[in-house]
Amino acid sequence: MKSAVTTVITAADAAGRFPDISDLKAVKVSFDRAAARMEAAEKLASGIDNVTADALKAVYSDGKYDLATRDKCARDINHYLRLINYCLIAGSTGPLDEWGIAGVREVFRTLGIPTSAYIEAFSYIRERVCVPRDMDQQAANEFKDLLNYLINALS
Amino acid sequence: MLDAFSRAVVGADAKGACLGSADLASLRQHVADANIRIDATNAIAQHISCIAADAVSGMVCENTGMTQPGGNCYPTRRMAACLRDGEIILRYVSYALLAGDASVLDDRCLNGLKETYDALGVPIKNAVRAVEIMKAATVAIITNTNSGPSAFQGISGKGSDCQGIAAEAASYFDRVISSLS
Repeated sequence: MKSAVTTVITAADAAGRFPDISDLKAVKVSFDRAAARMEAAEKLASGIDNVTADALKAVYSDGKYDLATRDKCARDINHYLRLINYCLIAGSTGPLDEWGIAGVREVFRTLGIPTSAYIEAFSYIRERVCVPRDMDQQAANEFKDLLNYLINALS
Repeated sequence: MLDAFSRAVVGADAKGACLGSADLASLRQHVADANIRIDATNAIAQHISCIAADAVSGMVCENTGMTQPGGNCYPTRRMAACLRDGEIILRYVSYALLAGDASVLDDRCLNGLKETYDALGVPIKNAVRAVEIMKAATVAIITNTNSGPSAFQGISGKGSDCQGIAAEAASYFDRVISSLS
């Protein structure tokens, strides 16, 4: 599983060297940001059901999508938010890449699922994050970065 | 390969649950101790030959027959291989210490190591002895109780904060020893 620290170690191992000063600095930087990331992860974990419900309401409000798909869409939004929670902890996009993005285009294309619904949902969530009501500025930045990453991957 | 963070992520994914407040307490402690962990890893990296080469030499000094004809470290080609292996094991221990998780050591170093040594005729007893000396040297350097120059001169200035991380480093060496034995 790719994370901030394992990425550094993988590179050091490929070169056969002990962790050098620049490796340790890279690890230090990720630890320095960890507090904000954990705050975002914690807030997201406690509010994930509300966030999902809100986003779902927004996506299905204008009748563009078949209401029969609503439950599955809720499940998927919840799934992606959980992976974002993991990415915030790991300090890397590894969990999203490995469990949420790899193969997703093929699956959606084969099953004829419109990714636009997901993009609308995650964009809505991104716009709704409120500082400082929901979380600190730095935590919100980390969260929004991952939402953007996911939106780009689904676009 | 996992670190303390991705270990938590993999555990949560197996349950299909988010990582919430309850899971984050131990990770927050891990983050709070980050400087100690980084200093300890750096202390190993700054003392590679002091730890690895000295441990192999020490092991040979205890068994002088090894560098004589017929010994396992004769000729120098085999002594060189032995020195190299000491350094490789130390390197993976330093990765495990930085990651806060033993998986990198298990996957990339220990997996199949005993079988390889058995096939090559490496005496396991002596290999284990070299790892034991590396463990003692590493603990001494991290806790600042070594007799040579201090690893923490100008950094944190003391080794007493590092008992916990030294014990963690020792546990990785113990892992090497138990997988070889």
